[in-house]
Amino acid sequence: MTSPVLVIGAGVAGMTAAIELADSGVKVVLVDRLRTIGGNALDLYKAFPTDDCFYCFEGNRTRPGIRKCFYRSAMTDQPNIDLYTDTTVEEISGEAGEFHAKLAVGPRYVDPKKCILCGKCMEHSQAFEMLSPQCQPQAVVYNPSKAEDGDKKAEEECPTEAINLNAEASEETVKVSDIIIATGYHEMKPVNVEEYGYGTHPNIVTQLELAKMLDPNGESAGTLLRPSDGEPVKRMMMVQCVGSRDERYYPYCSKICCVFALKHAVIATKERENIKVSVVYMDIRTYDRHEQYYREAREDGVEFVRGRVTRIEPRNDGSLDVIVYDSLLDKYLKSNIDLFVLSSALEPPEGASDLMSQLGLKSASGFVAPVDLVAENEVVVGKRIYACGTALGPAEVPESVNQARAVVSKILQSRK
Amino acid sequence: MSENRSPVLLCTCGDTLSLDYELLNKELSQYEGVKSVTVHGTVCQREGLEAIKHLVQENDGRLVIAACTSQKIQMRIDNFLKEEGVDSSQVQYVNIREHSAWVHDDVGDATEKSLAMIKGAVRLASLSEPFLDETKEIASHVTVVGGGIAGIESALSLSNLGYHVTLLEKEDELGGHVKHLPVVAPTGKSGKEVLSGRLESIDRDDNIEVHKNTTVRFFDGEMGNFTVHFVDTDGTEKDLETSGIVLANGFSEFKPTAMEEYRYGRNPDVLTQFELSCMLSDGELHRPSDDEPVKEIIMVQCVGSRSEDYKRDCSKLCCTFAIDNALEVLKRHPEARVRIVYMDIRVPFENEMIYKESREKGVDYIRGRVSRVWEENGETHVKVYDSLLDKYLEFAPDLLVLSSAILPAEGLNELSETLGFDIEDDGHVKELYGKLRRLETRRRGVIAVGGVTRPQFVFEAVTDAQAGALVIHNELQEGQIEKLARGAVLNVEDCVGCSLCAQQCPRGVPLMIEETENPEDEDEKLEFKAAIDTLNCHACGVCQSLCPSAATQLNFLTNEQLWAQIEGTLEGAGPDNPITLCFHCEECAVSTMDIVGTRKMKYPANTRFIPVPCAGRVSIIDILKGFEHGASTVMIASCETDRCHMGGTGNEIAQAQIDVARDILSAIGWKGERVDMFRMYSAEPDRFITAIQEMVKRAKELGPTPVHQGTAGKWMEVSR
Repeated sequence: MTSPVLVIGAGVAGMTAAIELADSGVKVVLVDRLRTIGGNALDLYKAFPTDDCFYCFEGNRTRPGIRKCFYRSAMTDQPNIDLYTDTTVEEISGEAGEFHAKLAVGPRYVDPKKCILCGKCMEHSQAFEMLSPQCQPQAVVYNPSKAEDGDKKAEEECPTEAINLNAEASEETVKVSDIIIATGYHEMKPVNVEEYGYGTHPNIVTQLELAKMLDPNGESAGTLLRPSDGEPVKRMMMVQCVGSRDERYYPYCSKICCVFALKHAVIATKERENIKVSVVYMDIRTYDRHEQYYREAREDGVEFVRGRVTRIEPRNDGSLDVIVYDSLLDKYLKSNIDLFVLSSALEPPEGASDLMSQLGLKSASGFVAPVDLVAENEVVVGKRIYACGTALGPAEVPESVNQARAVVSKILQSRK
Repeated sequence: MSENRSPVLLCTCGDTLSLDYELLNKELSQYEGVKSVTVHGTVCQREGLEAIKHLVQENDGRLVIAACTSQKIQMRIDNFLKEEGVDSSQVQYVNIREHSAWVHDDVGDATEKSLAMIKGAVRLASLSEPFLDETKEIASHVTVVGGGIAGIESALSLSNLGYHVTLLEKEDELGGHVKHLPVVAPTGKSGKEVLSGRLESIDRDDNIEVHKNTTVRFFDGEMGNFTVHFVDTDGTEKDLETSGIVLANGFSEFKPTAMEEYRYGRNPDVLTQFELSCMLSDGELHRPSDDEPVKEIIMVQCVGSRSEDYKRDCSKLCCTFAIDNALEVLKRHPEARVRIVYMDIRVPFENEMIYKESREKGVDYIRGRVSRVWEENGETHVKVYDSLLDKYLEFAPDLLVLSSAILPAEGLNELSETLGFDIEDDGHVKELYGKLRRLETRRRGVIAVGGVTRPQFVFEAVTDAQAGALVIHNELQEGQIEKLARGAVLNVEDCVGCSLCAQQCPRGVPLMIEETENPEDEDEKLEFKAAIDTLNCHACGVCQSLCPSAATQLNFLTNEQLWAQIEGTLEGAGPDNPITLCFHCEECAVSTMDIVGTRKMKYPANTRFIPVPCAGRVSIIDILKGFEHGASTVMIASCETDRCHMGGTGNEIAQAQIDVARDILSAIGWKGERVDMFRMYSAEPDRFITAIQEMVKRAKELGPTPVHQGTAGKWMEVSR
C-alpha cells in the first residue's frame, strides 16, 4: 500500500490534480487554508479564454468525459480524497517517498458530509453562513466571531446533527509519498504604491475587486456603482502594471493582467450601460489568441493611452481627477473619472517562502521554480515534489489545468 | 408493452421542505406505475442510504428518488450502492427541492408541480433496463505524429505509462525546431542541450519505435482501433494499427515573401528570426550576400502577426526569441548594434528580466513600424517611423531580421479529413474546450500537443505532452477498458444509412461502414450503415434526435421512455392550467436552475422540467409530444453558444430542432412562439428566471392550444 499524495492548495490546479489522482486509484490528502475550496477562481465571474462562467470544473471519471459546475464536484464524496479545509501545513519533515506533514486543522463546527444545506441554522443565527451557492464542500460554515444566542438552537435543531459548537482545532500528521504544491497566487494590495492612492479613496479598486463588482451575483447585481456613494459609474480608468515590471515591487510581468483588464473593459462597455473605459498601459500584452480581447476592446471604443499616471486628485463630488502622461503624444492629459482600477501584480501567496525553504525548493521571483532548468520540466520542482498552477508563476486556468495533469502524469509514470 | 412498477422515495430534507407530503403520498400511492411510497427525512445520510439500498434490492433495481438535486446526491448514492454491490443504474432522480419547494411560495402549487414531475420519472423508470459494466480489450499502442520536443516528450511519457509507441517524423532527424535554437528561454541553454537527454532515452527505450522520413497519408477507424496509413523511410506504404493518436506536428514559421515591403526573398540579407537562430546555432554570424561580418542588425517584430491580412493574433514567442537572439549576438560580438522595431514588447513573467537585461546591454528599442526597405550601392536601407519621437529614422543594417508569425504545421487540413478533428480559424488544431480540455480534439482518442495547437514555449510544449499522455491514458486504460455501457445503441437493422449521426456527433463516434450481403457479387449496390461503439459514446443523444428511423437511441433515455415521461409530467395540463414544459440539459442549464434554487429566487410554478443529458437530445417529435400531452409552451434550456459541454455542438442541434418545430407550428397555425430555446450558465442565474417567465407569459397570452380546444389534427384556415 503506497502512501497518499499531499496536495497543498485546492484551487483549480490542486483540485484537478487531486481528482485525476483519485480517479487513477491514488489516495490524496487535499489541504486548503480556507473554508471553501476553489481558490481565486470563485471570485472571477467570467473566465477567459472562453467567456463563460468560472465555475466549470472537470468532472471525474465516474461522470465521464464532461465538465461540471463547481458545486457539483462532490469533493467530500470522492472515494480517494481526504479533504481538509480550514487547514494549514505547519511543517514538513522526512524525505522523498516518506514525507511527514503536520497539519493544523481548524475546528470542525459543521460536518460537511452531514450538512444538507437545508438552511435551518441560518434562520436561527447569523454565525452560520453559506459562503457562496457554488461553495465546495456544499455546506454552511460557522463563524464564531459572529456567535449569538440562536447558535445553540441551531445546533439542537440541525436535522442531521451536523453542528458541533464545541469543536476544537486539532493537529494531525500525515505520511505522504509525494507533494504537490498548488498554493496559487495572491493579488498584491497596492497600498504601498503611493502614486495610485489605493486605500485612500473608496473609488480606487483592484481588478479582482472589480470582478466582484461586475458579478451579477454580487451586491449590486452586476451594475457598476461607485463604492463611495452608490452612484452609477460612467467613466472608468484602468492602469496596467501596478507593482509589475517595477523594480520597487516585482520586476516580472504578471502575464495575465492585460487580458484580465481587457475582459473587464469589454464587459463594461458591451454588457453594461453608458460606461466609457480607458486603459493606461506600457505595452499591451495579449498573448496568442488573447489578442481578440484587444481587438474587441478597441472596436468597442475602449480608449488606450500609452504612458503613466502621474497624479490623482479626488473631487468633492466623489469623482477623481487623473493626470496621465501620454508618451505617444508627449503630453500630459487630465481626465475626470468615477472608478480607478489598478491591474495589480500577482504575487506569491503568504507562506510560500516558508514552505519553499522547508522543502529546499528553488525560487523564481518568489514563486516555485523547476528543479532542473535544462530539462524544461516546469512541474518538477524537487525530488517527488511537484508544482502546478500559479504556484509556478502567473498562469491562466487552462495552463493550470494542463500543469496539474502533467504532475499527475509524472506521478503515475514514477509509480509504474 | 407491460410497464414495471417502481417504488418512490420522498425526502423531506430534515422536515424543512414546504410540500404537502400527505397529498404526495396519497396521490402517488394511487398512481398506476407506483409500487410503494416511502417518506424519509434525509436520504443522503447513512440511514437514508440503507433505505435506498433495501428499496433497490427489493424492486429489481428500480427506484425513483424525489429529493434535492441529483447533482449533489447521486455520486454519494452511487458510491454507496457500488460498495454494497447493488446496481444503481436504474435509479431515477427528481429534484423537488431546488426545482420546486425552494422556488415557489405556494405549497399547493409546489406540491402539484413536484407530483407531476415525480409521475413523469415513474413513467420513465417503468421502461428502464439495467446496464452493466462491460470490458473491452484494445492494443496498448499509441501513435505520435511529429518528432519535435512535444512528440518526443509524448512518446517518453506514454512509454513510461506502459504503452507501446510509434513515433512518426517527416524529417531525417528528431528534434524539430528546438534543435536549431541557440538559446531556449528561460534556461539559457541551447536547443541541442535540452534535447540530448531525451534523445538518449528514446534510443534506449524498447517500447518506442521511431520512423524517420515518413509521410502520414490518412487514417481510419476509431479510438481503440485506428489504422494509420503512412509512407515509410524506404518509400513503402504501410498500415499501422493503433489505439490512440497524439498530434505533435509542431508549427511552421511564416515566410513573408508576399509582404513585399520587407524585401524578404529578394534581398539575401533579409532573414526570418528562425533563420537567424539557425545561423547562430550552426556557426558564425555573417552577411549572406557576401559573407562579410555583421555589425548592425535591425529586427522587426509582428511580421505577419497581429495583422488583418495574415495572422490576426499575436504569435507570443517572437519577442522572447528576438531578445534571446539579440543577446546571443551581443555575447559573441559585443561591438555589434542591435535595434528592435516593435509595437508592444510582449515577454511573459520572468522573460521581462531578459528584456531588461537586453536594454541594459544596449539593445535599442524603437516603437513604431518599418515604412520602407530598399537596396542602394549594395547596402540594405531601412526607414522606420518612430511613434514615440514622431519621426522617421533611416538605417543601413547588415541584417534585417523579421520576427515572422508562427503558423500551424502544414498538412493539417488533409489529416483532419480522415481523422475528424476540427481546425481553428487560425489553422491550428481546434481544442475541445478552451478552459479545461485544451489537449483533446473533437475526435475521441485523438489529442494534440505542443505547437500544433498554438504557439508555445518549449517548457509549455513539454507540459502539454506530459498532460496529454495522462489524457490518453485515461481513455485507453492500458488497453483494459472497463466501463458502464451507458450511451447510444444502434440497431443496424433500422439504419437507413443517412450518415447524419456520423456527421453531427460532437465527438465523431459513429462510423459509416460499407456493407454488402454478398461480397463476391460485384454488381451488388454498395450500402453504408452506421456503427456505434457504445463504450466510446459520450451519451449526449444528438444522434438519437437526428436519426430519421429511430435506429440509434440512448439506452437510458429511449424515445419511448422520454415520451412516457412527457405524458406523465404533463398530467393535469390544460386550458385552465397552462403549463410550460422545459427540457433542460444536465450541464449548464441544470446548474443554473440549481443555483436559482439555492439562492431561493422565485418563478411561476406552472412549469414542469424534464432533464436530458444534452439539449441536442430533444427532437422535433419530442417537442410536439409536449403539445400533444397538453403543454401550452415548450422550451429548451441549454449551455451558452459555443459552450456546449458535449464538444460544442449539441446546443446548436437543439437550436435547429427548435427552429424547425417553430416553423411547423407556424405553418399549421399553432403559433410558433410557443417554442423557444434559451442559453444560460450558472454565473448568471437571472437568465433562467427571464427565460421561464417569458415562456409562462407566452403560455398565458397565446391561450389554449388546438390540443386543448380539440381541433388538433383537423384542417383549419390559417390567417396570414
